[in-house]
Amino acid sequence: MRFLISLLVALIIGAGVGLYLGWVQFPAQVIDNPMSNLDARYQDEYTVMIAYGFLADRNLASALERLQRLDLENAALTIQETAERYISSSRTVEDIRALVTLAEGVGRLTPLMEPYRLVNESSPS
Amino acid sequence: MSDAAAPRPARSRYERPRRPFSVLGIILGLILGVGAGLGYAWGIAPMEQSNIAPWQLDAEGRASYTVAIALAYGQDGDLGHAIERLVALRFPGDPIQGMADIACQLASTGYANSTSGLDALVTMIRLYQLQGRAGCADQIIGANSSQSGGVVTIDLPTPTTTLTPPPSKTPTPLNNRPTPTALLFIVPTQAPQNAFDLISVTTNCSLGQSGLIMVDVYQLNGSTGIPGMEIRARWSGGESRFFTGLKSERGDSYADFTMASGIDYIIDMPGRADPIRQPLSAVPCTTPNGEQAVIAYRVLFRAAE
Repeated sequence: MRFLISLLVALIIGAGVGLYLGWVQFPAQVIDNPMSNLDARYQDEYTVMIAYGFLADRNLASALERLQRLDLENAALTIQETAERYISSSRTVEDIRALVTLAEGVGRLTPLMEPYRLVNESSPS
Repeated sequence: MSDAAAPRPARSRYERPRRPFSVLGIILGLILGVGAGLGYAWGIAPMEQSNIAPWQLDAEGRASYTVAIALAYGQDGDLGHAIERLVALRFPGDPIQGMADIACQLASTGYANSTSGLDALVTMIRLYQLQGRAGCADQIIGANSSQSGGVVTIDLPTPTTTLTPPPSKTPTPLNNRPTPTALLFIVPTQAPQNAFDLISVTTNCSLGQSGLIMVDVYQLNGSTGIPGMEIRARWSGGESRFFTGLKSERGDSYADFTMASGIDYIIDMPGRADPIRQPLSAVPCTTPNGEQAVIAYRVLFRAAE
């Protein structure tokens, strides 16, 4: 009887420890994740790359379609926030300009972005 | 002999006080419990991560990310940065070939049916072809495809009315329904490819032109130079843009750029002419007089017909 009770109690405690280790300390690195699960850094990187693509072809529809792969609630707001975050953290000017151009294309140009507008480029379609 | 002198017997297990628990049970329970917990957490219900790296994306995500890398490269020409991003995808083997394989997969689907999809594929093809890689997208799409532009309306000729069948023994209602008028088909066409064609790339070795890339841009007649044409020289980690007609002594058509020794350069006219296929390498050469110099290139562009 002692043995069984000890076994049961240790099983419960062991299961808790195992779940903690498996979920928190050493989670399984699953592949085949959707883009919405990308780390924020890579989501920003992806947004910047899409912004560069928009700089080249000014195709707003395809830029937004590509950004939707991130499963964003509000793509325009995300673009604005990313641009402002890049400005605030003094990222490279080229990246900022690309983001600002895309932000302007979705109607999210803010005063913070004004100095980075590409005024000599043609208006976004 | 008295009892007091006899040695005390060792305490037997029946005399020792009992533990309230079983050590063996605890050890066994912990091992089984931890194993069961890990098995459940890793195998049955793994935690969905929300901070994954690009290499952990599913196939569709990896393709989208790869396309984005190509789009960024197409605009900034930063090959080093593009490769760095491709490395994050952890393609098996060569990351640039990984892009070629993704392009092949996309080209084999309906991805190229849209303007933006086609443009993205063309950019991917240019990137990996410049690095000497190949993929099935080269044959399916071809690197010279570019954005679609105008629209052509095709009117199919109206077919003649279908004849009624001959009368049969059993009277049947005549069927005089005419064949419906053909639908109007609208097919998108390719816009003119490029405003300028690359005519020739020649080399020479002389001290006076050591390491120069000399570019001439002409009208269609091949003799009238066009000033103000932007030329771009790209290399790993950088690019430079320069314009024709700034050296009046060399004429309106002329622009030049000094190469750094040992670097490979790709020359194009942004938005006007495709990049040259093979990079121009700043390699040493020996002049006809036996002097050491760096090879010079002469690149000729002419307005397209």
